[in-house]
Amino acid sequence: MSEQCVPPASVVLVSGGSRGLGLSIVEDLVGSGLRVATFARSITPELAKLADAEPDRVLAGAVDITDRAATTEFVRTAESSLGPIDALVNNAAIGQDSLHVHTSPDRLANLIEVNLTAPLLLTRLVLRRMLAGGRRGRIVNVTSICARRGFPGLVAYSATKGGMEAATRSLARELRDRALVNCVAPGFFASEMSAVLGTDQLGAIVRRTPTGHLTEPAEVLPVIRMLLLADTNIHGQTITIDGAAGS
Amino acid sequence: MNSDGSAAPISALNRDQLRELLTQVLAAQGKDLPAGESAELAAIGFRSLDFSELALRVEDEIGRELNFDAPGLRTIRTVGDVLDFLTELQDPA
Repeated sequence: MSEQCVPPASVVLVSGGSRGLGLSIVEDLVGSGLRVATFARSITPELAKLADAEPDRVLAGAVDITDRAATTEFVRTAESSLGPIDALVNNAAIGQDSLHVHTSPDRLANLIEVNLTAPLLLTRLVLRRMLAGGRRGRIVNVTSICARRGFPGLVAYSATKGGMEAATRSLARELRDRALVNCVAPGFFASEMSAVLGTDQLGAIVRRTPTGHLTEPAEVLPVIRMLLLADTNIHGQTITIDGAAGS
Repeated sequence: MNSDGSAAPISALNRDQLRELLTQVLAAQGKDLPAGESAELAAIGFRSLDFSELALRVEDEIGRELNFDAPGLRTIRTVGDVLDFLTELQDPA
């Protein structure tokens, strides 16, 4: 590794790590030997079990990502118990399944707050501590195929994911060689948010996916792991993981 | 003005009033609403955005928004389903 490379992550903050892809990310990173702090609105039994089994390497907290004070406190606690955070995975997000004209203004504002404003603030918080400590680090933003491809019922959600991808490109320019910032953009999962898609809609997505199947969380993990650990020059990019459905 | 001629918004439209608005939405597209409630929406050419138009017209009449998620919409198959769904949406409980 050259002197200019950003070192592999050692202490990772993962937002929304209590279930679904977020929990899989936490499990995968812990399995790769990293220390992981994660928070979600509530701690699931699965996450509690993991934290209990690895108390020196996993910290789990029940924190609402829109609660700025609680989020800041959790980051401080995480650094006290696990060490300085040198990587962030912005995974927490809420889904949408409503036509724009029938989405209430409050719901629209909530989507933007949770999926765009909160991760930008968390990124700012982690970067400020990272830069102040003279450390280099890595950020992975979990976006979505719908940041760049249209789907009915996902207007505000798509806007937030597109916003995170745009922010990623500008962050890469700002941070230069201090932190590598990238996005992974999964296609629709067979579970989780895809549960709200209609059978016809899911069937249509599968039909136009050259690999013939919807993306599984396990297929996203190696890419996140690579962006956090591998010696690469990947910066400001979005890696789409959708079986070429959007290509 | 509401369809009943009064100036103040009414709290909810009854089934006949909903059916009248549905008739208007279809008529604007040169389509007729069959008698009864069993007609399939696909057969009469009533699509999801037609439902949006109808819901927004209902909102105009009752003076409040009826926001809703898409999954409920996907279960609608017949004219009766449309009237049921809009009736439930208007229920403040």
